[in-house]
Amino acid sequence: MTALAAGLARRGGRVGGRVGRGLARFWSGISAISIKELRGRMRGRRAFVVLTIYLLLLGLFAFGIYVYLKQQAATTVTSGSGVFPPDFGGLPFPGGQTLSNGTALSAGIGHGIFGGLLFLETLLVLVLAPAFTTGAISLEREKQTLDLLVTTPLSTLGMVIGKLFSALTYVFLLIIASIPLASLVFVFGAVGPEDLLRGYAFLFALAFGMGAVGLFISALVKRTQTATVITFVVVLVLSIGSAAGHQFWQVASRSTSGSGGLVLTQRPGRAPEALLWFNPFVADLDMVCATAPDTYHLSCEYISSVTGRPYFGSPTNTGVEPPIFRGFPVQVNGGGVDDVVVVPQFAPDGQPLPDIAVPAIADCPPNARCIDPGAGGTQAAISFGFPRDTFWPKSAAAFVVLGLLLTLLAAQLVSPTRRLHLPRLPRLGRRGPAAPAAPAAPAAPDVSDQSAVENAS
Amino acid sequence: MTIAVRTDGLTKRYGRSLAVAGVGLEIEAGEIFGLVGPNGAGKTTTLRMLATLLPPSAGDAEIGGHSVRREPDAVRSVIGYMPDTFGVYDDMRVWEYLDFFGRCYGLSAARRRQMIGDLLELVDLADKRGAYVQDLSRGMQQRLCLAHALVHDPQVLLLDEPASGLDPRARVELRELLRELRALGKTIVISSHILPELEELCTSVAIIDHGKLLASGRVDDIAERFRVGGVFRASVLGDDARVTKAEQVFAGLPDVVSVVRRPGGMLELALRGDETTAAAVLTAAVRGGVKLTSFAPAASDLEELFLQITDVGAARSRSPEVQA
Repeated sequence: MTALAAGLARRGGRVGGRVGRGLARFWSGISAISIKELRGRMRGRRAFVVLTIYLLLLGLFAFGIYVYLKQQAATTVTSGSGVFPPDFGGLPFPGGQTLSNGTALSAGIGHGIFGGLLFLETLLVLVLAPAFTTGAISLEREKQTLDLLVTTPLSTLGMVIGKLFSALTYVFLLIIASIPLASLVFVFGAVGPEDLLRGYAFLFALAFGMGAVGLFISALVKRTQTATVITFVVVLVLSIGSAAGHQFWQVASRSTSGSGGLVLTQRPGRAPEALLWFNPFVADLDMVCATAPDTYHLSCEYISSVTGRPYFGSPTNTGVEPPIFRGFPVQVNGGGVDDVVVVPQFAPDGQPLPDIAVPAIADCPPNARCIDPGAGGTQAAISFGFPRDTFWPKSAAAFVVLGLLLTLLAAQLVSPTRRLHLPRLPRLGRRGPAAPAAPAAPAAPDVSDQSAVENAS
Repeated sequence: MTIAVRTDGLTKRYGRSLAVAGVGLEIEAGEIFGLVGPNGAGKTTTLRMLATLLPPSAGDAEIGGHSVRREPDAVRSVIGYMPDTFGVYDDMRVWEYLDFFGRCYGLSAARRRQMIGDLLELVDLADKRGAYVQDLSRGMQQRLCLAHALVHDPQVLLLDEPASGLDPRARVELRELLRELRALGKTIVISSHILPELEELCTSVAIIDHGKLLASGRVDDIAERFRVGGVFRASVLGDDARVTKAEQVFAGLPDVVSVVRRPGGMLELALRGDETTAAAVLTAAVRGGVKLTSFAPAASDLEELFLQITDVGAARSRSPEVQA
């Protein structure tokens, strides 16, 4: 790549030469830094020992899920009692009457392993990616090696990308190394190659985004210790804080409207789903939901409440419970995923409601799309799959955009003579009237006094 | 002679304080130029501005005809910079260190290989090629850092206190190395607060204090201008009154340029001439009734020398803590 860029630099004309030189400096930045970093990181046995231990732990975890789910299934079947066997940590077992069916059991195990591995790896990437990058620049500052780097003609963007790339290479290696293990789910079913592909695409996006978060904070803050603390506070806020904040918003904005004693509509508030774009676990839930072998899954219900896409849960042909739809019982009339008419059939206490007219469009819950059923509308309750890819692609895109943005900003912060000069904020009340005008006279306009102050210590 | 480095009203301001105040220098190509002054005089700030690590608050500097403000990239490719304090990367071998910087400068693989061999030979580290950088001694690291500054064969070398922390032997080796580099036609800008280190080495010096350029020119001219034989330290026996009296006696002698009082009954004298005048001064003082417990030449540390000889230093009469 370097050779190519250098070649471009030689061959190009006057303008092309400048671009080529810029490109050459960019590429040599990436290649020089990443080769240097990788030489250090991959030296000796450490990197490979860590990788092996990591894979062993991951394998053990997957095996644990397998054993647990199998045992659960066995006890449930033999006792004969469980129509709905207990959930496994938010990953419910395939429910009900199909349990005796070996295929469904196997699918449940595949789904469980997929979900478990996905969550574990998300957690790992969420922690490791920023941990690897959060010292990238502040360490150079602390060890006083940054000046040596900055006086080379490397472009700061190339430098920063090289840092990010080399730090992430090891994370990527960990992710990729787990693919064969994760492929075990194909043995059990429920999860297709395209699901696994989605999962890994998301993990890569997550690693990039979170790596850039660490890198940016490393460039912003002088000391590695501070940078590490800030980075992990940010990680916590993104992963736990965002979910909590979102939930609070949902509850706080809930509205209830009763009408005529027949239909009680409780509309949960809609918090903006963008709040959760940076929460990787919600994106995981979306993928877990899409692979659930059963028609009802907690993850789907959560995603449904986040995205506002209707989710009608499991079939009601058991006759026991009407499907729960966002706080009030509904019966569903025909149609495809998006063609839905919602007709409340049961009062909140479970008593059947008398036949009522199809509600007007205006009464349609905000998260459903309602059409007039016409003559073909039947009263059969049907269940249908959850729409795929409603949430996680947005989350992945958000991480990529965040990563690009923070990388660019980090490059600006590293450069001592910044290309982008922020307009200087007027100092408020700092300058006393006694201060003579001459020493306080502002410097030349393009000189950034901000960087001067930052570099002062 | 072509001018390799030119600064024009170079100024650096940190908030209200002025670190470098309008320094104007012209350094000819092929010179070894010494930047001398006490700690905190603005030497490092000046060099960092020349090395494009700090944007100047005002004024400009040109290296090889390129402005540090407008063309920092062009400047970076003609300079080799060695900071006063620098770190080394862990987990890196000596040859990898140079290879890394070679890549940073976009050298081809063949050129890098040759450069590494040549430079390690030059700085006398050829047998340490495969050693880890962090295992090298301080002097070796210093030489390696110098080698790093030479990776791209720059015309101008900016060396910030390259000899600090080195033992005398390593200093001598460094001096030899710098002479060799000069013979290769490089312009070397070197900063130090130790006069002897520069006296022998430099062709020209600039003296700065408190960010201001006090003097600059050929070494001989500067020495001629100040014509100071040396700084002597005298310990006066007795109480404050006696010390004050001794101070007056010394100040009244013709060959004494200045007298500075230090704590503990110490006086520092800058004398004109050589040891004969020193002996004469001592005799005169003793005749004048001054009781001395010791009288000896102080290390001709530039910092002290300048506090003695410059009016600025005398007028400020800064506290010893600041000077230390």
